[in-house]
Amino acid sequence: MNAPGYFLTHLWLIPLFPLAGAVTMFFIGRHLPKSAVNFFCVGSVLLSFLHALGAVLSLFVLPPNQRFYQQILYQWVTPGPMPSAVGMVNFAADWGHLLDPLSCVMVIVVTGVGFLIHIYSMGYMAHEGGYYRFFGYMNLFMFSMLTLVLANNLVLLFVGWEGVGLCSYLLIGFYFLKKSASDAGKKAFMVNRIGDAGFLLGILLVSATFGTVRFTANGLANPAAFNGIVETLGRLVMQHQLNYGAPLFTTIALLLFVGAAGKSAQIPLYVWLPDAMEGPTPVSALIHAATMVTAGVYMVARMSAIYQLAPLAMDVVAIVGAATAIFAATMAVVQTDIKKVLAYSTVSQLGYMFLALGVGAFAAGIFHLMTHAFFKALLFLGAGSVIHSLGGEQDVRKMGALRYTIPATWITFWIGTVAIAGIPPFSGFFSKDEILGHAFNRAAMLDRYLFLWAVGLITAGLTALYMFRLLFEIFHGMSRIPVEAEGHIHESPKTMTVPLAILAFFSIVSGWLALPVLWGEESPFERFLEPSLHGVETDTGKIFFAHHGMLVELALMAASIAFALLGLWLARKLYVENPKLHARLAASWPRLHRLLLHKYYVDEIYDALFVNRVKDLSTALGLFDSKVIDGLGVDGSGWLTRAFSRISMWWDKWVVDGLVNLLGWVPKSLSMPVRMFQTGVFSTYAVFILIGLAVLLGYYGRHVQTFVRSLH
Amino acid sequence: MHPLLDPLSSYLNGDGLTVMPEMELLLFALGILIFDFLLERKEKWMNASLAFFGVAASSVGLFRQAVRFNAQREGRPDLPGLFGFQSAVVVDGFSLVFASIFLAATGLVILLAVRYLEIEREQEGEFYALMLLACSGMMFMASGSDLIVLFLGLETMTLSLYVLTGYLRREKRSNEAALKYMLLGGFSTGILAYGFSILYGLTGSTNIWEIGNILDRRFQFVTSRGMNDWLVILAFVTVAAGLFFKVAAVPFHQWAPDVYEGAPTPIAAYVSVGSKTASFALLVRLFIWVFGGSQPMWQYMIGGVAIASLTWGNLAALTQSNIKRLLAYSSISHVGYILLGLVAANETGVAGILYYLVAYAFMTIGAFAIVVLLRQRGLIGDEIDDLDGLYQRSPAAAVLLLIFMLSLAGIPPTAGFMGKYFIFLSLIETHHTVLAVFAALYIVPALYYYFRIVVHAWLQKPGEAPMPQMSNAQAVALGITVFVTLAAGLYPEPFTRLAHYALGQ
Amino acid sequence: MALFSHHLLGVILFTPLLGAVVMLFVPREATTVHRLVGNLFGVLGFLVSLPLMLHFPTGSGAYEFREVADWIPSIGAKYSLGVDGISMLLVMLTTLLGMLAITSSWGAIQQRTKEYYILMLLLQTGMIGVFVSLDFFLFYVFWEVMLVPMYFLIGVWGSDRRLYAAIKFFLYTLAGSVIMLLAILALYFNYAKTLAPHIPGTFDIPTLLAAAQGFPDSLKIWLFWGFFFAFAIKVPMFPFHTWLPDAHTEAPTAGSVILAGVLLKMGTYGFLRFSLPLLPSDPALRGKIVHILIALSLIGIIYGAVVCLMQKDMKRLIAYSSVSHLGFCTLGIFALTPNGLSGSVLQQINHGISTGALFLIVGVLYERRHTRLISEFGGLATPMPNFAAIYLIISLSSLGMPLLNGFIGEFTILQGAFVVSKAWAAWASLGIVLGAAYLLWLYQRTMFGPITHAANQGLPDLSPREYVVLVPLVVLAFWIGIYPKPFFDYIEKPVQRIVRQVNPTFYQSAGLPSSTSPITATSSTASPISGAK
Repeated sequence: MNAPGYFLTHLWLIPLFPLAGAVTMFFIGRHLPKSAVNFFCVGSVLLSFLHALGAVLSLFVLPPNQRFYQQILYQWVTPGPMPSAVGMVNFAADWGHLLDPLSCVMVIVVTGVGFLIHIYSMGYMAHEGGYYRFFGYMNLFMFSMLTLVLANNLVLLFVGWEGVGLCSYLLIGFYFLKKSASDAGKKAFMVNRIGDAGFLLGILLVSATFGTVRFTANGLANPAAFNGIVETLGRLVMQHQLNYGAPLFTTIALLLFVGAAGKSAQIPLYVWLPDAMEGPTPVSALIHAATMVTAGVYMVARMSAIYQLAPLAMDVVAIVGAATAIFAATMAVVQTDIKKVLAYSTVSQLGYMFLALGVGAFAAGIFHLMTHAFFKALLFLGAGSVIHSLGGEQDVRKMGALRYTIPATWITFWIGTVAIAGIPPFSGFFSKDEILGHAFNRAAMLDRYLFLWAVGLITAGLTALYMFRLLFEIFHGMSRIPVEAEGHIHESPKTMTVPLAILAFFSIVSGWLALPVLWGEESPFERFLEPSLHGVETDTGKIFFAHHGMLVELALMAASIAFALLGLWLARKLYVENPKLHARLAASWPRLHRLLLHKYYVDEIYDALFVNRVKDLSTALGLFDSKVIDGLGVDGSGWLTRAFSRISMWWDKWVVDGLVNLLGWVPKSLSMPVRMFQTGVFSTYAVFILIGLAVLLGYYGRHVQTFVRSLH
Repeated sequence: MHPLLDPLSSYLNGDGLTVMPEMELLLFALGILIFDFLLERKEKWMNASLAFFGVAASSVGLFRQAVRFNAQREGRPDLPGLFGFQSAVVVDGFSLVFASIFLAATGLVILLAVRYLEIEREQEGEFYALMLLACSGMMFMASGSDLIVLFLGLETMTLSLYVLTGYLRREKRSNEAALKYMLLGGFSTGILAYGFSILYGLTGSTNIWEIGNILDRRFQFVTSRGMNDWLVILAFVTVAAGLFFKVAAVPFHQWAPDVYEGAPTPIAAYVSVGSKTASFALLVRLFIWVFGGSQPMWQYMIGGVAIASLTWGNLAALTQSNIKRLLAYSSISHVGYILLGLVAANETGVAGILYYLVAYAFMTIGAFAIVVLLRQRGLIGDEIDDLDGLYQRSPAAAVLLLIFMLSLAGIPPTAGFMGKYFIFLSLIETHHTVLAVFAALYIVPALYYYFRIVVHAWLQKPGEAPMPQMSNAQAVALGITVFVTLAAGLYPEPFTRLAHYALGQ
Repeated sequence: MALFSHHLLGVILFTPLLGAVVMLFVPREATTVHRLVGNLFGVLGFLVSLPLMLHFPTGSGAYEFREVADWIPSIGAKYSLGVDGISMLLVMLTTLLGMLAITSSWGAIQQRTKEYYILMLLLQTGMIGVFVSLDFFLFYVFWEVMLVPMYFLIGVWGSDRRLYAAIKFFLYTLAGSVIMLLAILALYFNYAKTLAPHIPGTFDIPTLLAAAQGFPDSLKIWLFWGFFFAFAIKVPMFPFHTWLPDAHTEAPTAGSVILAGVLLKMGTYGFLRFSLPLLPSDPALRGKIVHILIALSLIGIIYGAVVCLMQKDMKRLIAYSSVSHLGFCTLGIFALTPNGLSGSVLQQINHGISTGALFLIVGVLYERRHTRLISEFGGLATPMPNFAAIYLIISLSSLGMPLLNGFIGEFTILQGAFVVSKAWAAWASLGIVLGAAYLLWLYQRTMFGPITHAANQGLPDLSPREYVVLVPLVVLAFWIGIYPKPFFDYIEKPVQRIVRQVNPTFYQSAGLPSSTSPITATSSTASPISGAK
């Protein structure tokens, strides 16, 4: 392997640039003009994008099996020796970075889309307060996200994981004067935290099993000297200490998936994402569509080696993914807030990705992750541009016919919609088709996957329906915009439209990486990712795809296209040709409509089941402290001692003096001379002395008796 | 040397030496009584200085005894001490240490008393004379090795204390207390005498060494028959009962609060320190050297009384509003601790008793000294509320009070803690773990009521009570007490040595 | 310089005392002079402790900087000082927090300043003494001495219910420590028994604990429980924790900082140093005891966190959060694994930093508004942005955000507990979730939203002095979060010594026999306890 070039050896710079930007903002940001803020923050992201590009290219020139570069900066967490499945190991988590095909994709997407969104934000946030704060947080987010995707071990990945969670908390609550905003931020953080707890346990189980949290030793100067999860896993499987489907694998996989479900908003932890739309739109685009929410998908793919050995966990992932996909899609259909619709669509698309991972099509999942990053970012930014031009209006019922006033946004939004709806030759079609194809192929092996495939297909239709509905409601039909607002509708500035154009371009072409599939070849994208995802050889079992003829493949494509078009047609019927129709439809099924409108009442149920119960428990325990432990235990014993003291006082005072007065008048009545002794208590005290003496003697009474008996 | 003086000097180096400190005290006592007539009313304080000289002279005598005793220990390690008057008195480490405690206590109380009596307008010679008499009695209780001598010593002490308790003629509380004290004291002395008579009847001797040996033999003889020697039991029960009264152990404690409250404060201190320490000297002397053989028989009795005293003393003290009464109850609880050392009855235990008594003497006198400070014209100053805001009125006094209270409660690094340390250790060494836990836990309520005093002195707003002035004498007394209280806690080594010296090591 | 090279610990120990003595001679009225002298000696106390860390031989498991002198020969008590990696860190924490606490009370304390600084300095000496003394007698003296100044700090400068809180604190702690005294004596006696008569025993801690290994289990159990109460109350562990909220709430800011930052650590330190070697050697028996203590720790973690959610008083909330955090420390200790112990020690330092800082933060608000009620605040992020930033960082460090100190400690502890029993780690992780809940909620209610009280309108942002107090802690939080290795290096060897002593089977145990199912295998082989799950 030839010496790595500048870009690879300076991998650590990629996350560092945004961090520098963020730190600058926090210290001197308040005193900087907007231009300087732009220079620092957007510039830093550009730098790391360029470095990422350089690094990826310098990796790309290498032969496929050498496309690993790993650098360990220093030993980070070194708590000392711990036992593991492979013996006593000196556990250590490095601070190190790993660049392999998988992280290549992620780092490019993150820095690329991130850069565009930063550009866009310059325009979007131009009139907002806390400009520096916004960009500081954004850069901090970039740092965390890049740490996440470049981390060479789970613990460092967890750093990024929590970091992005924090930034999302801060950015959702960016308008912290709005209670709803800060509430949403808290909710997001909490729900994620629940997932993180599971994730953390997963990490612990991994470390306790493999004795390391490093993904792989590949790409290090001397791989032999280090151990990685993949290598250790291989050894364990080789020695048959752990086998395909071992409960340990299932446990690890499921624990990690809990974390993924939290971060990537899957059932049952998806509830935070829709609320997260309280944040500024660029944030929704960057964090809650393109990058952060896909971290779960990335992590599962990263651990694919383990998942491939845990069929049970795979099924869970697949089913949860499919369920989330269709569940969210149904809610998206009736939402009226433009961003909420996109949010649910994001949840649904993430479901798609997990479906892919679940059926073992890791590459397909990542592929969809990438394309989705482009078109969903595009859609969000488009929505942002719409909101911007309408001065903050988000309700689609107050829009319409905007295509004339903001054409650029309109066109790009069109492209995005078509892409997500999965209509060729736009990117969405290819990635979604990959997923459905794999699901179907698995179905040939196991029938239950047929059901998953069907769900995916229907969801595709629903996706087309709600997306086109959104498109039509905003840009087509009659204008429902209040007249006074009509006046100052304006197209967004170049800083916003240019990124839209670029993203639109990628929404079209990014899918073509899988073009060869059309004539039955393997997708180059999959081939590129293969080194990262192939997992470990095992003779006991593996995920197995059937291979159908060309005809079947084409039929599948036809089916998905057909569903997409069906959705398009339906949307057109309901919202363009006959706008009254959908209202009547809603009226005819009021219950269903209300159910969807209230998102199946999930939030209410959670509050009733968990949130309020915890609060009750808290109050109860608080009372327990003050009443039982303090009340009975501490003050109680204190009270008891004081009571005793009272008694003894009372004894000395009343019993004694009482007897005094009693004995007092006896001698008084007897004779005069005794009276001079009536100074009070002496006689009773004497009595007590006698009593005391009697007690002492009584203690030895037994002996006295024995003596008496011994006399005769 | 002049032939006429020879017998005198030989006497003074023989029997005379064994009673020299006591004799010196007696001489000074008489001297004061005569000297008193020559003094004007405003010169009466000179009696105090004279009494102080008496104490000094007596301590010189004590020192000579010590030198002599040590010399003999070198030569004849087998002898327990210097015997005098056909071994009616003995000078050994035990008596020396106790005697020095008595002298120190007497000296300190005299220092406290001068100003107090001025305020009470009771500055009379007999006060000091009686104190010296009492002190000589105490010394005999420690050095006597014959029942008669011991009894006489006891009576000398108690009689003078009765009078001193009732010293404030115009004070009703004082007179009542005195009468109470006398009558009950007499009563208990009777019980004690009864016990002594039984001992004599059993052994036909009044010399405690002989009695001890005979009793041991007799005890082994009887127990080997599988019987119990109820006469011995009767003996030590009655003796114990008599002495329990003197040390105010439950259930013979009832007089203590009234007497402490009624007696002039310096005398209250003197009673609680002097007579208590002396009676403990007697108790230990008798129970270790005389009844030592039957220890398995009496240790439970002592233990029971100890726990009773701890419980009653600590709990009753919690709700006292009068400092002197509170200190009375606290002293009852201290008796409990000291008795526990007797329960263990091993080397550490007895050494612990001695250590505890030294510590107790100084910290108690110190605590009472603060109460004496509070006594001013038109203010009795023995209620807890009279302490309010003492910290603002006289920080020094407040700090001293804090130190004494900590020591009484047994918080390191103070003398009180070291005393408790030895007691606990002895209990653990003799496997009385439960007693140890009891005793240890009683520190908690104890701290609570001691800190009630501290709270009043430190954390309450000052009342209208005037700034207490401290006479030089009182300052000296306080200085000495606080010094010992701290020194015995911070560097206990010399004191532990002293304790072991008393046990003849 | 011989003084420094040979008596460093002595110097560290008595510098504050010297300060107190000097203060005695300052006239009562000269408030500013009191402050100057107090701060001077606070800083001095920290400076003289720096050489300790700089010259500490890293990776040494033994006691360093020994100082031995006879004290009470007749009973064998010695003036004997020494620190290993663990106590060294705790001493540093003490001197640092002591300095910051003294600095922080410049403006906060207006009356009786002289006494205040004297007590603070005395307290300082007492606390350092507890950590550095290697003689049980000396240890106990310091352990008790330190109660008195704390009592007065709460009782004189506390808020409304100060008397109640102060005496409660004193009695609670005393009850535990008198029992400990008996345990110490029992240890002393049972060792002295083995010696020839009339040779005084020794209170030397290493000697006694080494000897204790040979004691019969029946005795060891008694000794263990004897020590247990003292430490469990100090920590405080679950049923003994109710003094903490009162004491914390009523104490002045500096008092709370010291209480939370240092005093509580004495309990964990005691467990670590004294209780562990007294665990019975019979695995089954030890298993029982360890299970009880782990159970109490877990209850503490969750209990404390849950109760936090209903608190209306900031200080009370933080106090309960300490119960939860200290639960982690004890969990780590009684997992009896190297990770658990190192994590626990580190977490003790972390808790000192984060919670100390949190109390300082509440103090900042209290000085401005003279209330601690959460409902009185809200929307402070607008008038006090920098304060908001520091407050956020500290909250995050307290709730275990990676890259801050809390995470390292919690992760390591969980790892240590996890290899023994999955269930323990699982329950503990619940505490992490709740931790985020109450801290973020607190932060949101005080910092975010519109300003609800007019009084909060023009609150000034942090003053330079407040920066001086808070920034070091923030820096430390980041340091431990990003580069904890130096700390781990200090801790590693002593911890391994302890583990070898109390859990000798640990180092053999590893690997999973191919026969058994892996989950049970990894747990039970590593477990010092028969069949811990």
